[in-house]
Amino acid sequence: MDQETVRTICYLARLDIDQSKSGKIQKDLERIIDLIGELQRINTSDVEPLYSPLEMTSFMHEDIESSDNKKERFLENAPASNENYFLVPRVVE
Amino acid sequence: MSIQFKTIVELRAMLDSKQISAAELMQESLGLAKKHEELNCFVTMNEEQALKKASAIDLNEKTTSNLSGIPLAQKDLFCTEGLRTTCSSKILSNFIPPYTATAVKNLEDAGSVTIGKTNMDEFAMGSSNETSFFGSVHNPWKKEYVPGGSSGGSAAAVAAGIVPAATGTDTGGSIRQPAAHCGITGLKPTYGRVSRWGMIAFASSLDQAGPLARTSEDCAILLNAMSGFDSKDTTSLNTEVPDFLENINNPINGIRIGIIKEFNLADLDSQVQERFEESKKTYEKLGARFVEVSLPNISASVPTYYSIAPAECSSNLSRFDGVRFGYRAENTDDLNDLYIKSRSEGFGDEVKRRILIGTYALSAGYYDAYYKKAQQVRRLIKEDFEHAFESVDLLMTPTSPNTAFKFGSKGTQNPVELYLEDLFTISSNLAGIPAISIPHGLVNSLPAGLQLIGNFLREDQLLNAAHIFQKNSDFHLLKPDLEGSQ
Repeated sequence: MDQETVRTICYLARLDIDQSKSGKIQKDLERIIDLIGELQRINTSDVEPLYSPLEMTSFMHEDIESSDNKKERFLENAPASNENYFLVPRVVE
Repeated sequence: MSIQFKTIVELRAMLDSKQISAAELMQESLGLAKKHEELNCFVTMNEEQALKKASAIDLNEKTTSNLSGIPLAQKDLFCTEGLRTTCSSKILSNFIPPYTATAVKNLEDAGSVTIGKTNMDEFAMGSSNETSFFGSVHNPWKKEYVPGGSSGGSAAAVAAGIVPAATGTDTGGSIRQPAAHCGITGLKPTYGRVSRWGMIAFASSLDQAGPLARTSEDCAILLNAMSGFDSKDTTSLNTEVPDFLENINNPINGIRIGIIKEFNLADLDSQVQERFEESKKTYEKLGARFVEVSLPNISASVPTYYSIAPAECSSNLSRFDGVRFGYRAENTDDLNDLYIKSRSEGFGDEVKRRILIGTYALSAGYYDAYYKKAQQVRRLIKEDFEHAFESVDLLMTPTSPNTAFKFGSKGTQNPVELYLEDLFTISSNLAGIPAISIPHGLVNSLPAGLQLIGNFLREDQLLNAAHIFQKNSDFHLLKPDLEGSQ
């Protein structure tokens, strides 16, 4: 892992790392990647990945409208809102 | 009579015999929280609402639930309607949820009263409570030591006798390890047993809510109320919930307990080993039979976890963008800048580290090598457990390789050092099976935890084995000296 890779991951994750900490972050990430790399020793050919411990569940909801509309309450938590909308910096000039 | 260090069962008796009213009990509990503020167990108190609910309970003569009027603390990761919920992060430091998590609602519907929200590692990422935006929680046994994490505030509040029980969540040991470090009992149920709705997600395929209490009997009382199918959580198990108190007193003679060959206990601190051997003897006297079992892939649990959990974390935490709720940075140039600055200023270092690892593991070119590979190994680990449970009823390990450590002494130079502390707890999250930690004595004046791991949906067996141990030992009765502990 080099500084360029760290910069790319930071951008993908929308995180900005303090320049003074970037060396330490790079080293930490390398150590964690080394740890995860230990898995390569295990033979997993023909093993199906297990994405959840419960493979038999996950049900679907009926496609019916819920009356549980709490729009105002959700908007109360917004850092900036205007009637029905969340406000963000101008996107289209 | 002081209510400090009392169990739910004891407080129930005091309430029923009118030795104390629910309102008095609440006042005492809130008073204890204030008196022990230096432990930093709580992020937000719920004083007014708690007293109001307790007074209402006093007016209503009919008590049908054993939790009625019992004060509880909730980990600050459960959404609580109208009560600030921060996940101990700056990014949620102003968040007031419009709804209550099902697990908490179930407990409150059973009559319990939430006195406050407990401190934790930021977004539950940590094993020491040192990553909280609101400062570390102190271990009631020795205040310059960590309480464990991530449910450290819950564990410390119970250990200090402020509340008889509290909720926690466990993604890789976050209930069991702080329970062990604080000398109390903590249970991680089967994945899907307790609804995750309203829990702020860290790693969705691993997260599970559960109780922390002074005894396994009290854990059973909480689990009875917390469990059950919830249509709002698509991974909630639609299966019958037994009464976890029903068979808790059953004798355990003939029970088969597995010792995992791959965990080389001889490498551990000699006193931790000694505690473990003593507990084995206690179980043998109670009629248990020990069998060595092999779980060939279990040593890969830590690397498997530290691939899967950060990957799920990076995905889950993408919702914190400064737009709809939570912290928003000021003076931003455009939308992208708003995302970057809000997240960079809002998250702490450990959370950022895990988001970055997860982003890397899921990025093009690395997905198969890290994420998919880990999920394949996860299946092998689950199959190892299935195989082991063909010949044993429970598995037994220490909860943690060590007792609590001093603040700043582990993981600051190399985060992997702290990750390895999770060796014994992580595998049950990967497999989705239940596990409990019970106190089994002190090592250098700090509590050590014993872990029992059960088969899928067999919390009843775990609680039974833990309760019988506690009926025949007094480690769970030990209390920290809060005035004297430095």
